[in-house]
This record gives sequence, C-alpha cells and structure tokens, in this order.
Amino acid sequence: MKTNIKKIATDGVITNNPTLKLVLGTCPTLALTTMAMNGIGMGLAVTFVLICSNVLISLLRKIIPNQVRIPAFVLIIATFVTIVRLLLDKLLPDLYESLGLYLPLIVVNCIILARAESFASKNGVFASALDGLFMGIGFTLALTLMGAVREVLGSGAIFGVKLWDFQIGFFASSAGAFFTYAVFIALFAFFSSLISKAKHKKDALKEREENAVQLEKKEVE
Amino acid sequence: MSKFFKSDWFKCITVLLLLSVILGGTLAFLNDLLYVSPKERTQRAIKKIYGVEVTLKDEDILLDVDNGGEEESNEFGSIQKIYKINDDLLFKSTGGQGYKNGTITLWLKVVKTSDNYKIDKVVLDGYEKQTLMSKFSQSYYDKFLIDVTDSYNNGNGIFLFSPKDEVNKLQNPMTGATKSANAACNAVNTVIKYLTDNNFNVGGNA
Repeated sequence: MKTNIKKIATDGVITNNPTLKLVLGTCPTLALTTMAMNGIGMGLAVTFVLICSNVLISLLRKIIPNQVRIPAFVLIIATFVTIVRLLLDKLLPDLYESLGLYLPLIVVNCIILARAESFASKNGVFASALDGLFMGIGFTLALTLMGAVREVLGSGAIFGVKLWDFQIGFFASSAGAFFTYAVFIALFAFFSSLISKAKHKKDALKEREENAVQLEKKEVE
Repeated sequence: MSKFFKSDWFKCITVLLLLSVILGGTLAFLNDLLYVSPKERTQRAIKKIYGVEVTLKDEDILLDVDNGGEEESNEFGSIQKIYKINDDLLFKSTGGQGYKNGTITLWLKVVKTSDNYKIDKVVLDGYEKQTLMSKFSQSYYDKFLIDVTDSYNNGNGIFLFSPKDEVNKLQNPMTGATKSANAACNAVNTVIKYLTDNNFNVGGNA
C-alpha cells in the first residue's frame, strides 16, 4: 500500500491537530505554556517518544497479542519516555529542570497511546513514523504558539527575551492558561470551518462544471 | 503440554516478559551511559553560579557528604556541601517542612565583604514532593538577597526568612505555594543559622 504522505502530514498538523482539534494532551498544554521555550521542549520530547514508540509498535504489531496490546504499548512508551528523561538530564539539564514533573507524565499523554492504538498498530513502519513526526509537529506548534502568546502577554517577554515592562498577570496564571486554550480552540475551529466551506464551494463548482460538460456532450451526440 | 504452549495465555505472558526484559536491559545500559554523577551535578551548579567551571582542590572542600563528610543539621534543615571558592563560601542546603513535609535544596553563594558575609546568589538544586516548583522562577530566589533587617526576627538576634513575610513578599502571590516557600526559606535559614552558630559575622544582605 502506498503511503499518502500529504494526507498524514495535513492530518497531524491541521485536520486532526492533537491539541486544537482532538483536545488530547491537555495537562502539559495548560501547565507548561507559560513560556514558548517550554512549549518547544515539551513538544520535541513528545515528538521523539511518538516517532520511536510508533515505529516499535508498528514493527511488533503482528507479534503482540491483541489481549495484551495496551500493557505492551504502555511498556514501550514508558521506555522511550525514560530515555528522553535520561537524555535531557545529561545533555539539556536546564530544559530538564523547567519541564520538571511533566516530563515523566508523557507516559500517560493520551496522544501517544491514541496514535499507538489507532494508527501504529494498524499501519506500516514508514507511515507510522511519519504519523508520529507530524502529530508531534502539530503538538509542538500548538504548544509553542500558546506559550508565545502567554509569555508575551503574561511576562512581557518572548523566548526569555524581555520585550517591555507591560504584563497582564492573568495570562501567566492557570486561569489564563484555560482562557488562552479556549481562544486558540475557537480560532482554530473558526478558520477550519472557513477553509472547509471554501473547499466545499470549490468542489460544488467543479462538479457543476463537469455536469455541464457531460450534458453538452450528450446534446452533441 | 503442546496445547499449553500454543495457548493465548502463554503467548501473552511470553510477549510481555520478553518486552520487559529487552526494554529493561536497554534502559539499564542507557542509564549507565547517561548517568550524571554527583560531581558532575556539583560542577553544573558551580557553573550556573559562577558562569565558568571551577576546579575544586581538596583544601577547598570544607564539607562534602558524597566524600564521607557528615552533614550539618539544625532546626531548619541540613547542609550537605560547603566549598571555599576564591574567598566565597558555597553551600548546598536542604530546607525541610515543605509541601507534604517535603524538602527544597538550594545552592547559596555567600561572599565575604570587608567585615561581613552576605548571601550573594541563591540557585535551586532540587526538591522532593513539591508539585508547584515549576512556577518558582529565579526572581523568587533573588528575594533572599535583599537586606533582611526589617523582616521577621526570631528573637535571638538572627534575621530569618519566613514565607509569610509581608515586607519581602517571600510568599509567592501567584502560586500560593506557602509550604514550598517555607522549605525554600528554611534552606536559606539553615545557612544563616550555621554561619551564626559558627561565629561568622553575618551582616549586609544576610
């Protein structure tokens, strides 16, 4: 079966964006988006775990019995999360400290288990790796954008660089996280529906043109 | 017997066991490969405080529990490491009575002025059981560097920090993490008490 890279990419980043469309991985989204850098760090850690676990689960999908697939998936995911923790502690200790408690909690991130169950366990290795990559990119983009907005409004800075003294403390708080998340979901839904309507209109126009051409052909015959 | 080996039950257990052994072995190998030693962690903390790596000589190590030293304790917490770097003293101090009775460990750089020692820099090292630590930024620890003359006085002439200190606002108003703030204050107080008990001239910032 040929892998539809374009479909996997648009699914992961836009159509089925894990954060803004599927509303998965809400806990780190709300807790860690006080800074854009945290969003990138968390997003990349999740992307690594998604790609690696998807690849291994896809490789072992015919070996793992159906009855024990969930514990097996959790075992695989937990292993990769531990590897990410070890790597970050060794190579990027500052990021490791700032992600804190939320790094081991990647194990229970619904995005990873959901992709393992709904995609990697049913598709080939290459497609699963791509799915992990693009889902991870979608998650990273959403977290980074939310983090940037909250950092600019809540701390008057971006990526730790001070922009101005003006700041609205609400955006740095937990309530601000829920508010920003709600605004992002609403905006995403609004633009998605606009794009979807435009696409339907285009399709309808194309169909009408095709029908007219067919009718013309019949009349000529 | 062959029926047993062909059963789903046997397959499930075998797959899970094999996965556990292989993945566990991989983790054990990587754990050894990526292990961060206490020495490396200390160097990281020193680099964070001084901006450069500092080679410690034996005579610079006044106390180190990792090298067989015995930790210094008082009612606020305990000190695990004391290094003499240039003329400064560098403490690794753990404060108790945090959230769920957990602890916070801080590095404190205490510098010598003409006739005093004062706290010059405070950096977080680690914590136990504190769930809101990600919200404590460096600006919070920098509050320990101010003149504490007006803050809470325990009656013995030693100026100690308290999370309910209205003057210095050491209770983080955003998180409301009073218990964690208490552990952080205790880590600093441990050092102040140690300096006082050991007849250091505590003044200036401290």
